[in-house]
Amino acid sequence: MAQPVVQTIHRDPALFYWILLPITVVMVLTGILRHYAMILLQSAPKKQTLPQVRQQRSLMRAINLRNNFNVISASSFQNRKALMVQAFKDGAFLADPEARGKPRPNPMTDPAMMEGMMGMMKGNVAMMVPQTLIMGWINAFFSGFVIMKLPFPLTPQFKSMLQSGVGTRDLDVRWVSSLSWYFLTLFGLQPVYNFILGSNNAASQVTQQMAQMNQMPGMGPEQDPDKLFLSEAENLEVIEHYWILDGVEDRLLAKLT
Amino acid sequence: MAAELINPPPSVPPALALRMSQQAPRILQQSSGPSLPYLLSLLTASDAPETWIGYENLLLSCLRTGDDRSARMCLEKLTQRFGESNERVMALRGMYDEAVAEDYKALEAVFRGYEEILKQDPTNMPIRKRRVALLKAMNRPIDATTALVGLLDSSPTDAEAWAELADLYLTQNLYSQAIFSLEEVLLITPNAWNIHARMGEILYLSSLATNSNNDGNLMQGLCESMRRFCRSIELCDNYLRGYYGLKLTTSRLLSLPSKTSKPAPAATDPQFGDLAPPSLATIEKLHELATAKLAEIVRRNAAGESGWDGYEQAEVIAARELLDRDAQKVKR
Repeated sequence: MAQPVVQTIHRDPALFYWILLPITVVMVLTGILRHYAMILLQSAPKKQTLPQVRQQRSLMRAINLRNNFNVISASSFQNRKALMVQAFKDGAFLADPEARGKPRPNPMTDPAMMEGMMGMMKGNVAMMVPQTLIMGWINAFFSGFVIMKLPFPLTPQFKSMLQSGVGTRDLDVRWVSSLSWYFLTLFGLQPVYNFILGSNNAASQVTQQMAQMNQMPGMGPEQDPDKLFLSEAENLEVIEHYWILDGVEDRLLAKLT
Repeated sequence: MAAELINPPPSVPPALALRMSQQAPRILQQSSGPSLPYLLSLLTASDAPETWIGYENLLLSCLRTGDDRSARMCLEKLTQRFGESNERVMALRGMYDEAVAEDYKALEAVFRGYEEILKQDPTNMPIRKRRVALLKAMNRPIDATTALVGLLDSSPTDAEAWAELADLYLTQNLYSQAIFSLEEVLLITPNAWNIHARMGEILYLSSLATNSNNDGNLMQGLCESMRRFCRSIELCDNYLRGYYGLKLTTSRLLSLPSKTSKPAPAATDPQFGDLAPPSLATIEKLHELATAKLAEIVRRNAAGESGWDGYEQAEVIAARELLDRDAQKVKR
């Protein structure tokens, strides 16, 4: 058998200058534009009110006490424990003592929650609109062009990915159509953005979606602060105290002599 | 910008502050260099966090050394970058205003400014802290304490504020409150050896001041103070303050008259009781250890050995004086 015929297609070099290059440049520029658009659209995180700060930090204080109780003496610890457990049970540190014991309101009606949703919406819109536009642009002007040949062989499975928009069954997989080039740049430009904009950019849509995934758990219904306080009070109750200063002089002598 | 500006030591000695502020004209001139058109300068300007931390430290050291003009320029640069309403910039501006205030009246004007800001936004922690500092500077420690307690009520995880409160209480001779505040600091930063040592110092002072006629309590306090110093040495080898306190407390414990009459293996109450005092032999050993170590530190520091020159001169001198005092006693 003869060797498989190497397909050669004579391409107009103008294809390179008028399709490949423009698509690449446009994609890079859109990424950069999107990065700055995201920065502009980002709303500053909403400031907590004083009672909220107090509630959160009082809880932190109790957690600190639970973790580091061994640095203070037994009597100091007992005093603090009694004080905090009592205050927690009374709900003295709650930001909103009125809402105690009531069921959580629907998160959809919570304005703070709505703001978070809006932020996400904005991000998604900033992603979707340019993508649709550019894809429409490419479909309208460049569809059906074979614009480049990859320098390495590929299996036929890649055909649908690399030759979308070109309906030729026998064409070698190494030929890339313009629409496919668009997709390749869409997903593969992250290193270029990192180089241009620094590593923490908002240009690429893939990373953007990942970041949103990570945010999701934080967006979920937050816990009832009253419950948190009560469980922390229980945690404090069960601590068995020991003092780090117990026998420190013997430890020191053993270490240094 | 120099490394010492970006990452200065926690407490800047006067000489370093002077050196830092002397760089100010050069740095300020450098950064204002040839100005490009608006958009181009956006591309070239470095916006690294280090630059701005450098400016902040430069501002602080300029205020310390009285170079108000350079401080003003630093402040303007920071304001240009972060805006008037940035909390940190507001605090720095307040600090500048306090520094250039001529008399008590001007200080009061600054104080009213703080009140005004806090009325609009009570969560502005930097300004609340400045307010406390200003009250302290205006020689109103009681008001400062009240303000600080109010701050800590809404933000009880602020180690810096707790430590400041301990100092305020100490100036008013309220030892147990000071100890309580320091305990809070330790709960937040459990391995801070300097706080352990500070605690030891306050315990020592308070047990001397309050229990001079009650030997049992005095010994209890001194023992705890000694243990605090032990802990601070355990956390930080060659800690001068720790050894100094250890020597001081142990020699005091050894000189207690009741020590011999009452070996006091008082049963440690498991619930509330404090630890039983250590045995006489342990105290003696600790005393020897502290003396030897202090002598070593003083000797090596005087010889200028590398790795032993980080001590503050005042502390080394105090340690030498303590050792000399001890030696004289032996001669007699």
